[in-house]
Amino acid sequence: MIKMEGINKCYRLGGENIHALSDVSFNVADGEYVAIIGPSGSGKSTLMNIIGCLDVQDSGSYKLAGTDTSKFSGRQLAKLRNTHIGFIFQGFNLLGRLNALENVELPLIYQGVRRKQRRQRAEEALSIVGLADRMKHRPSQLSGGQQQRVAIARALVANPQIILADEPTGNLDTSTGAEIMDIFEKLNAEGKTIVLITHDTNIAARAQRSLSIVDGRIGFEAQEVM
Amino acid sequence: MQSIQMAFKSIMGNKMRSFLTMLGIIIGVVAVVVLVSIGQGANQSVSESIQKMGTNLLSVNINMRRNNPINLDRVNEMRRLEGVAQASPVSNSSGTLKAGLNQYEDGSIIATTPGYDVIRNYSLKYGRFITEPDVNNRSFVAVLGQEAAEELFGSLNVVGESFTWKGYPFTVVGVLNEIGTSMIGSGDNLIIIPYTVGERLFQRKGISSVYVSAMSADNVSIAQESLTSYMDRLMVGAYSSTKYNIYNQTTALKTLNTATNTLTLMLGGIAAISLLVGGIGIMNIMLVSVSERTREIGIRKAIGATRRNILSQFLVEALVLSLIGGLIGLGISVLATRLLEPALEMTLNISPSIAALSVGFSLSIGVIFGLYPANKASKLLPVIALRHE
Ligand SMILES: Nc1ncnc2c1ncn2[C@@H]1O[C@H](COP(=O)(O)OP(=O)(O)OP(=O)(O)O)[C@@H](O)[C@H]1O
Ligand SMILES: [Mg+2]
Repeated sequence: MIKMEGINKCYRLGGENIHALSDVSFNVADGEYVAIIGPSGSGKSTLMNIIGCLDVQDSGSYKLAGTDTSKFSGRQLAKLRNTHIGFIFQGFNLLGRLNALENVELPLIYQGVRRKQRRQRAEEALSIVGLADRMKHRPSQLSGGQQQRVAIARALVANPQIILADEPTGNLDTSTGAEIMDIFEKLNAEGKTIVLITHDTNIAARAQRSLSIVDGRIGFEAQEVM
Repeated sequence: MQSIQMAFKSIMGNKMRSFLTMLGIIIGVVAVVVLVSIGQGANQSVSESIQKMGTNLLSVNINMRRNNPINLDRVNEMRRLEGVAQASPVSNSSGTLKAGLNQYEDGSIIATTPGYDVIRNYSLKYGRFITEPDVNNRSFVAVLGQEAAEELFGSLNVVGESFTWKGYPFTVVGVLNEIGTSMIGSGDNLIIIPYTVGERLFQRKGISSVYVSAMSADNVSIAQESLTSYMDRLMVGAYSSTKYNIYNQTTALKTLNTATNTLTLMLGGIAAISLLVGGIGIMNIMLVSVSERTREIGIRKAIGATRRNILSQFLVEALVLSLIGGLIGLGISVLATRLLEPALEMTLNISPSIAALSVGFSLSIGVIFGLYPANKASKLLPVIALRHE
């Protein structure tokens, strides 16, 4: 499903080059559940953005479901992000002027789903993450953990093939975090491909496989868990 | 469809920004529409008073008491001069008129000859004007303006009624149509009597003022020339030209007209500036919201909006805001002109082309400056748009 080869990404800051990713190569099979762990600043989010087609690499090739992503048009990329990828941002990225329900509805609006069905599916997604009683709240009226769960619901609502989660449990207590992990496992059991970023080795251990990343390089392919 | 929903959500979601954007448009539209209609109204009321006076009006004033060669026969000769259509001597007085218990003191008594009605564009509502026999027989008859008729008799159809002035009884033979107040003053307080009667009652001998109408507005200068040479011939001797003046009303009014045109232009200029200021207001609001909106666009793109989705949302948003603002502005303009009409004593009409122009201008500014940042942001990679603070 995901096939990366020799990916490089460099940021130029005042004449200094920061290699956020150097020569990153790895594969994720269809239906696989992969965790990426690594210290802060190691390039995890940078990698995730490229996987999610939100950013482009400086060099190297990235094939998604067999197609080189550099071949996609803007329209195709939008469709890909809309229906095939569910992206959970590290910083949530919710629209502050919309309430939880409206935020979750957004991907469906761009799919052209009718209002009634849209509402129903958004409500369903919010109840999955345990926020059925906070649908009319705006992000500013929600706690960090609740905002994170809205972001998760938004990623799930379109029923995408791939779920990319950048520290989805970072703001959650252990029991809520465990609930979210259960959701991911259930989705994985349904055949979804999941890539998850975490600091927490316990959480990484629940994935089928984990990759570690240090200073923009994939360190070692960690153990197969099951 | 979605973009319309999205646009309305966004407008309602940020009421302050929406309001400020509309305010810019409202101010611009109101300023232009109201100021231009005031300018046009002023212009129109001047043109109307020119029309009322007759654009082909001239007057000859004679400044000599003794040996004044002008008499009724000479005035009749003036009628046959080149370019001249009509000529009538005029002398004025005022006084208290009485009819039964009613008194009228504000009247302007004018003694003249037949033809004066033509010269001044007066028309009769009832009865007839002064005639040649009235003048020749020194008949005590009068033609009244509407105000005079109302004040003396309480009604307008008063032909055959009589009133007294200085103890002399006059019979009303005609009532004029309403003349209205113009920049030259009220025209409805007239009491017009035969010239010969005036001569006797005013105790003034000789003709000191003659009103002349030219054949047409184009003939005014020809008439003026022929009158001048005619007068010069009559007043032989030194300083003859100082003994009379010929006033050309059109020239005077043209000057006035130029002044109101300047006024319109000035008001238009002020209006254009307010429109510009309004436009800059819209521009500012739109540009200030760029950073917030760039992040929003990044989020929308990240979850699957195409560039087209983004642009149509922002286009609809800008259109709706500008259109609502424009319509509110027009509404306020209509109200404002209705309120200003009595205060300015002129008819104010909103010209559709000015309304369309100002709304169109605000609309384009709203759309251009609404779309400009959206277009720029929609081209960015989602990560870059998201990183925007
Ligand atoms: N826009 C940018 N401009 C310059 N440098 C950047 C930019 N984004 C990221 N970096 C740098 O790239 C490196 C990797 O950043 P990245 O966000 O991928 O880290 P991360 O592994 O997600 O960290 P964390 O666990 O704290 O989220 C960092 O050193 C960061 O400073
Ligand atoms: Mg990160």
